[in-house]
Amino acid sequence: MNIGTRKILDRSFTAVGIGSIIVMALALMFVVVPIVTNGIGAVFFTGTVEHRKMLFNEFKRGDSQGLSSEVASSDRYRSKVYDMLTGFEAELETMAPEKKKEYKEKYAQVRSAVQALLGPLPGDSTPMLTRFKYGQTRWEKAEEKLHDLLYESKWDNSNPNVMSKEYFVSRAIGFEGTSLVKLFPYVKDNLEKMLLPDFTVYWGFITDSSVDSHFFGGIWPEIQGTFFLAIGAMLFAFPLGVVAAVYFTEYAKPGFLNSMLRSANSTLAGVPSIVFGMFGLAFFINTMKVSESKSVIAGALTLAIMILPTIIRAAEEAILAVPKTYREASLSLGSTKWNTIATVILPAALPGILTGAVISLGRAAGETAPIIFTAAVSVGSAIGLADVFSSPTPALSWNIYNLASEHEAASQIRHVQYGMVLALVSIVLLLNLSAIVLRARISKKLKG
Amino acid sequence: MIKKILLFVTLLALTVTATGIAAVNTIVLDGSTTVGPVAKTFAAYFSKKYGIRVTVSESGSGNGAKSLINGSCTIATMSRAMKDAEIAAARKKGVNPVASVVALDGLAMVVHPANPVRSLTKAQISSIYRGTITNWREVGGPNTRIVVIQRESNSGTEESFKDLVIGKGVQITGSAETQSSNGSVKSRVSTTLSAIGFLGHGFVDGSVKVIAVNGILPTVATVKNGSYPVSRPLYFYTNGQPSGPVKQFIDLPKTVEGKRMITELGFINR
Repeated sequence: MNIGTRKILDRSFTAVGIGSIIVMALALMFVVVPIVTNGIGAVFFTGTVEHRKMLFNEFKRGDSQGLSSEVASSDRYRSKVYDMLTGFEAELETMAPEKKKEYKEKYAQVRSAVQALLGPLPGDSTPMLTRFKYGQTRWEKAEEKLHDLLYESKWDNSNPNVMSKEYFVSRAIGFEGTSLVKLFPYVKDNLEKMLLPDFTVYWGFITDSSVDSHFFGGIWPEIQGTFFLAIGAMLFAFPLGVVAAVYFTEYAKPGFLNSMLRSANSTLAGVPSIVFGMFGLAFFINTMKVSESKSVIAGALTLAIMILPTIIRAAEEAILAVPKTYREASLSLGSTKWNTIATVILPAALPGILTGAVISLGRAAGETAPIIFTAAVSVGSAIGLADVFSSPTPALSWNIYNLASEHEAASQIRHVQYGMVLALVSIVLLLNLSAIVLRARISKKLKG
Repeated sequence: MIKKILLFVTLLALTVTATGIAAVNTIVLDGSTTVGPVAKTFAAYFSKKYGIRVTVSESGSGNGAKSLINGSCTIATMSRAMKDAEIAAARKKGVNPVASVVALDGLAMVVHPANPVRSLTKAQISSIYRGTITNWREVGGPNTRIVVIQRESNSGTEESFKDLVIGKGVQITGSAETQSSNGSVKSRVSTTLSAIGFLGHGFVDGSVKVIAVNGILPTVATVKNGSYPVSRPLYFYTNGQPSGPVKQFIDLPKTVEGKRMITELGFINR
C-alpha cells in the first residue's frame, strides 16, 4: 500500500472516530438535557399560594401566620371573582328559559375552569380527593388553566372529508351582554394577586411520601425502595459471585463440565430481564414461598440472580489479572492455597471486583422488568427494614413506567415523572462515581 | 476501607429502620388498571384512617385473578367477572373467590378530538374491530384509514369490550394495535388523528373525544340506568367471605366517603 492511500485511510478513520464521538455526545445531550431541566422543575419551581396551603395542611410545614396573611390577601382578590359568579347565577335565574338553557352549560364550563384554577369555590363541599382540594400549585400549570378559562377549544369540522382543525374562541364573547363578561379580563389581570406565585424550593420532593397518588408530595418511598432492592440484591449476589469466581479461577479443573458452567454463566448474562422477573415470580414466590406475595426480599433475590453473571465475570477477570508472581511468592513462603487466595489474591483483585459489583448495583437499581411481578407496587408507604421480608415497595424504575402509562392523570403530573427519572439517573450516576473513587483509593493503598 | 463501608451500610440500615414503621398487617391488592385509581385512592384513605398498610399493583385483571388463586394477594381488583375456568382453578387450590361490586364503569369509545365522527352504532364499532370497516369514510368521517387500538389479552377491559360489543369468540382484526393500559390507550388516541380506542370512564379527559354508542353518550345517568350499551361492573374479589379489616375495605364503596371518592374519580356508584 502506498503512503498516499494509507494517509487517506488513516484520516478517514480519524474522521469516522470523531464523528461517532460527536453523535454519541449529541445523543447523550438530547437525553440528558431534558431529563435534567425538567427533573429539576420538580424541586425548583414557581409555586403558588395553593402549594403553600397544601404543604401546611398535608405536611404541617410552613409558617402559619405568613400563610394566613397571604391567604387573606389572595382572598381579597378572589372574593370579587366569587361575587361575579354568584351575581351571574342570580342573573341566570331571571333569564328567559331558552336563554337560560343556552347559558347554563357555558356557565358550568366557566365554573369548573375557575375551580381548576383556584380550588373549591365558597359553598362547595370539601372534596375527598386531595387533588381537588387545592387550586393550581404550580404557576406554569396555572397559566395553562388560565388559557382554558379564557378560551374555549373548538374543532372546525366544516369539511367532513378531512380531519377537523382546532381553533380557540374567547369565552368572554359568549357572555357578551351579561354581567359575567367582566370576569375574564379581571382574572387575567389579577391572577398573580390571586395565586401569589413565588420561587419555591421544595426539597420535600425527595423526602416526602406522595399524597393522592403522586399529585402532591414527594418520592421518598420510591427512592428508599430502590435502595433496598439494589442493596439487597448486592448482599446476595456479591458473596456468591466472588466465591464462584474463586472456584472457577483457582479450583475448577479445565474440562467439559467447567467449560459448560462458564458458557452457562455467559448465557445467563444475556437473558432478557423480564425472563428473570417471571422466574422470580414462579420460583421465589410461588414455589419457594420466600414471602406470601410480592416482597422486597423476592425482588432482591430476583435482581441478585440477574446481576450474578456480571459479578462472576468481573471477579474472574480481576482475579486472573493478579500477577502470577504474587501467587508464587506467597506459595514459596509456605502459605497454603486457601491462605494465598484470602490474603494475597483477593485483596489485590478487590478494585476490579468492586468495580464490577458497583456497576451491577447501578443496573439492579435501574431495572424494571424483574421487579414488576416480584416486588414493585404502584402505591405504598415507605417501609421499615423489618418489613422487607413481607412487604412490597414502590421503586423508582417501576413507578416511572407507571406514571408514564398507567396513571389516570399522567399528563398533569409530568413534573413528578421527570423528577423520578432525574432521581434514578442521579442514583445510578452516584453509584458509578463511588465505584471509580473506591477503586482509585484501593489501588493507591495497594501500591503503598 | 471495608470496615468503613460496613459502618456506612449499618448506619444506613439503622436510619432507615428508625424512619420506617413496622406494619401490623398488610392488605395486598393486585389486578385491573381500570380499577387502579379507585384502589389507590381507597388504599391511601384506608391506611390513613385505620393505620393498616395497603399496597396496590396494577398488572391487569387476568393477573389479579392469578394472584388470588396463588394466594399472593388479599383482594383481586377486576374489571370483568371471573371466568369459569378461573373459578375452577381457584377451587382446585382451595380458594373460594367471592365477588363484590366496587362501582360501575361505562366503557367509553374514544377518538382524537379532530375526528368529526360523533356517534357510531354498536354494529359499526364491531365491524371496525373485526376489520370489515377500515376507513373512517365508511362511517361518515374523512377518507383515512382507521387505526384500531385494543388492549392486551390480560386486560379485563378488553374482555368486557369483546363480550359487550363484538361478541364472545369473535376475532379482533390482526391489524389492531395493542396497548397495555388505559393510560397508554389514551395517550395513543390523543396523538393519533385516525385512531379509535376504548377506555374506562374514569380515564377520559379533554385530550380525547368520547363518541356516542347507538346515539347515547356514557354519563352517570346513562350508565346507571343501563341505557348506555357498553357498561360493566368493577369488582373486588376475595378468598371466601371477607372479615375484619378486609371487610371494612371491601365495604368502602357502601360508605358515604367511599361513594364520594368514586364519583370524584369519574366512576359511577351502583
